[in-house]
Amino acid sequence: QDTVTVNIGSSHPEANIWVYAMKNTFQPEVDRILAEKGDYKVEWNESYGGTLYKFTDTRAAVSDGIVDVGMVGTVWEGAAMPLQNVTYFTPFATEDHKLLIKIFDDLSANLPALHDSWTAQNMVPLSSLITDSYDIYANFPINTMEDLQNRKLNAPGTSANWLQGTGATPVDGALTTYYTNIQTGVTEGTLSFASGILPTRVYEVAPDLTRVGLGSMYFGAIAANKDFYDGLPAEVQDAFMAAAKATSTAHGDYVTELATKAMAEMQAAGLQVHELAPEEKAKWIANLPDIVAPWLEQTGEDGKAVLAAYFQALRDNGVTPGRDWDVNR
Amino acid sequence: MTTLIIGFLLIAMLVGLVLLGLQIAYALFAVGFLGIWIIRDNSGLAFKMLELTAYSGIADYLFATIPLFVLMGLLVSVSNVGRDTFEVAEELLRRVLCGLGVATVAANTIFAAVTGVSIASAAVFTRVAVPEMTRHGYRPAFAAGTVAGSSVLGMLIPPSLLLIIYGVLAEVSIGGMFIAGLIPGLLLAIGFVVMLMGVSVAFPAFVYTDPAAARAKRLDRTGPEMSAGTMFAKLIPIILLVILVLGGLYSGFFTPTEAGGIGAFGALVIALWRRSLGGGKMWQVMKQTGAISVAILVLLIAASYYSRMLSIAGLPNAIADLVRSGGFSPLGFLFFYSVIILAMGMILDSTSILLIMVPIAAPIAQGLGIDLSHFGIITVLAVEIGLLTPPFGISVFTVHNTLNDPDVTVEQIFAATLPFIGVMLVVLLIVALLPATATALL
Amino acid sequence: MNDGLPHDGAGPFHDTVRAMAEDIEIRADTGTLPAFATAPIGFALGSVANLFSAIGTIWIGLMMVMIVLDVIGRNFFNAPITGVAEIAGRSVVAIVFLQIAAAVMQGRLTRADFLIRRIGSASPGAARLLDSLFLLVGALVFALILWASWPNTIKAFETSEFFGVQGVFTIPTLPFRAITVLGCAVALLACLYRAAMTWRAPGGAA
Ligand code: NA
Ligand code: NA
Repeated sequence: QDTVTVNIGSSHPEANIWVYAMKNTFQPEVDRILAEKGDYKVEWNESYGGTLYKFTDTRAAVSDGIVDVGMVGTVWEGAAMPLQNVTYFTPFATEDHKLLIKIFDDLSANLPALHDSWTAQNMVPLSSLITDSYDIYANFPINTMEDLQNRKLNAPGTSANWLQGTGATPVDGALTTYYTNIQTGVTEGTLSFASGILPTRVYEVAPDLTRVGLGSMYFGAIAANKDFYDGLPAEVQDAFMAAAKATSTAHGDYVTELATKAMAEMQAAGLQVHELAPEEKAKWIANLPDIVAPWLEQTGEDGKAVLAAYFQALRDNGVTPGRDWDVNR
Repeated sequence: MTTLIIGFLLIAMLVGLVLLGLQIAYALFAVGFLGIWIIRDNSGLAFKMLELTAYSGIADYLFATIPLFVLMGLLVSVSNVGRDTFEVAEELLRRVLCGLGVATVAANTIFAAVTGVSIASAAVFTRVAVPEMTRHGYRPAFAAGTVAGSSVLGMLIPPSLLLIIYGVLAEVSIGGMFIAGLIPGLLLAIGFVVMLMGVSVAFPAFVYTDPAAARAKRLDRTGPEMSAGTMFAKLIPIILLVILVLGGLYSGFFTPTEAGGIGAFGALVIALWRRSLGGGKMWQVMKQTGAISVAILVLLIAASYYSRMLSIAGLPNAIADLVRSGGFSPLGFLFFYSVIILAMGMILDSTSILLIMVPIAAPIAQGLGIDLSHFGIITVLAVEIGLLTPPFGISVFTVHNTLNDPDVTVEQIFAATLPFIGVMLVVLLIVALLPATATALL
Repeated sequence: MNDGLPHDGAGPFHDTVRAMAEDIEIRADTGTLPAFATAPIGFALGSVANLFSAIGTIWIGLMMVMIVLDVIGRNFFNAPITGVAEIAGRSVVAIVFLQIAAAVMQGRLTRADFLIRRIGSASPGAARLLDSLFLLVGALVFALILWASWPNTIKAFETSEFFGVQGVFTIPTLPFRAITVLGCAVALLACLYRAAMTWRAPGGAA
């Protein structure tokens, strides 16, 4: 029996939604599959929790081989891996996070533009990572779009785009700053998703959740360093791919479980849930400028291909996106 | 040889080189590089890690506040706001045992309410308090030690960079951490005062160059008195600064991270108002800010690289295993945890320690039923002791650097801070035993 | 603390005005630049280091202004400055590498010098040798960082790498990466120069 050493790690702790399945499904699944045949055994060298690199370096860490397998947050890689961020530039597409995993597992493996962009970064994508749907957690309910006028909301990075045309001011921030920002009045709420927001206890200071359905977002992938992967025995490669499938399922389930648990706990703690009326949501969507245009300009033909394939896949799966971002491109 | 043993050998190597006098940043980089190369048997990886750390190790808004807090400190210093605060404290405490030492602690406590990093306090009060204390018959090294020792208040009394970093890492409300730091911060200040008085009675030779003269001066009632009006006038600028920083923080005008920039701007306005920046002094202040900041920041990059090497060696995992397998009671765990942090504090900077330990320990603490705000205060207290312990004690270095007096050596300052470390250990114990000290106001 | 060159003026780079004035003056920072006539290399290196350091110094001030404008804009005009957090984060790295060469030239990098001072009083030559070696270690460290950072700097140029978000704000990373490389290059030369000067310094290390 040969031993293969695998350095595995992440910028986030083991309990994080994007890391959980890596530690709790991917690793044990690889072990289990390999044990069945008994030819190989993996020795895991774990560096979870950002002791090796920060969240800004998740791509560099895997593509440079600092870890062999790691969580890659393409959401932070707008310059090097812009194609993966298509969902952030096309909000109101779908709230079904499990579908998003399925679509992107497929596109990452089979759509040449997307797959090549991983290869170009010396990485092999194993299992897609997503968020559940973004909604607005605030200290006021949103009944009409008027309610967003002159409000300050935490909306970091690409999500700032979603507030264009609403009259709300996006304020930078991160999961860890929302609570204090809202408590002290720096902001009045935040765009976020249930599975991520629970541990921050933001509901204590932002007791009104308005379901606006900005949608689930593709966050990144668990990926392997390509040089490392190519050097693995075929049997271990196969085990990786099979374990990756199981990991995708487990990730989807875990996000569902967390989001459900989060909603139950937050509502028990006093969170009021409101639904934005469909006609108001339609106003929001109609007022959004063409936010996918700068992204298409950056990504060119590949971007068009990814956008088209993503929206085609949505429709093939019976989804009617809130806005046809792909039409007339 | 396991990687862990290599890791410990590399720690020993680092300590040896630092004691020998190699610039600490060079030592951290060089040993870190060697370590990654040896452990992973891959020099390319050491290079890539070096690039990552140099480019993004401190690329964070949090660290950008360090030069701003230093700038604020120097502006407060050049506009004599620090001196005025100190003078009022001195006047009020002139009859008190070890009055100038107590005044330093008192002024530091007030100043702590505007600064978020200890090195800013250390830089300001080295300029303000050490010359005064020396003039009044205190040993220069004792004066320097008092400044270094009391500078740690800057990190416990809000706003505080360390509490922000802990809050971010442990996902605890930063505002809550600030409030949790209040009572322990005041306990620490009171502890310092009691200790200073005790030491000046029990070991006058440790405190004064001429104990008899100092005693005579203290009992001398002939000196000019400062009127209440003068005192108030002298305190107005620092009061305004405290109101600006704390008021702005708690009314939501800006975030804890932004407090450094706003505070520096407020200090700038005060300095301009007092016409303290003429004759090229503004440029001198700016240059000094750069000089002090770069010495700290380059250490942070280097320490971050070194701590990543330790992580590759498996140190965090080993600690985690040790804690998990130990079957600790909550108090036993806190004790063990504090000891590890104290040991790390000797060789690493505060941020690296938090980065290594908090993600490992916070979930365990939570599992043992320890309140995470309480745990955070214990963490920051233990980490702060590292600011004063050799061989890598950044507050002591800052005082020594700013003082630039060849007659006051680093080891003398380290020795003079020992009683402060003692007080911090006692407060650490009290806070560990009485969670209410941290959580009462929450 | 000071590295390498001693405090007492044996080297040309230390602060000549060291005494603190009675009323808390900011110490004058003059005399860090050797004369061109006596030390042309030192003059050139010192000038470049000082220029870099001055840019870094101004940058700190600009960062403060940016934060203040962001806070005011957000609170009073509903117009925050986008990307302050990212820009400040990148800035602090740039500031370090802009200042580092001057810190080396002026011997301001933190060190624990109690042992080497003892060695220096027992055997000035040994201390001088150690100090020179330490500066060579410094040169090696800067060379390593330079070597490590070079490829990504080229890549940033070739791929027009940016940070920020497409459509929100984007800033090229090239200047920031270039500052790391240039700063390390000057610091490397400064270490080598000071190693040579320390080794040659007459009359021992202290
Ligand atoms: Na403070
Ligand atoms: Na220490």
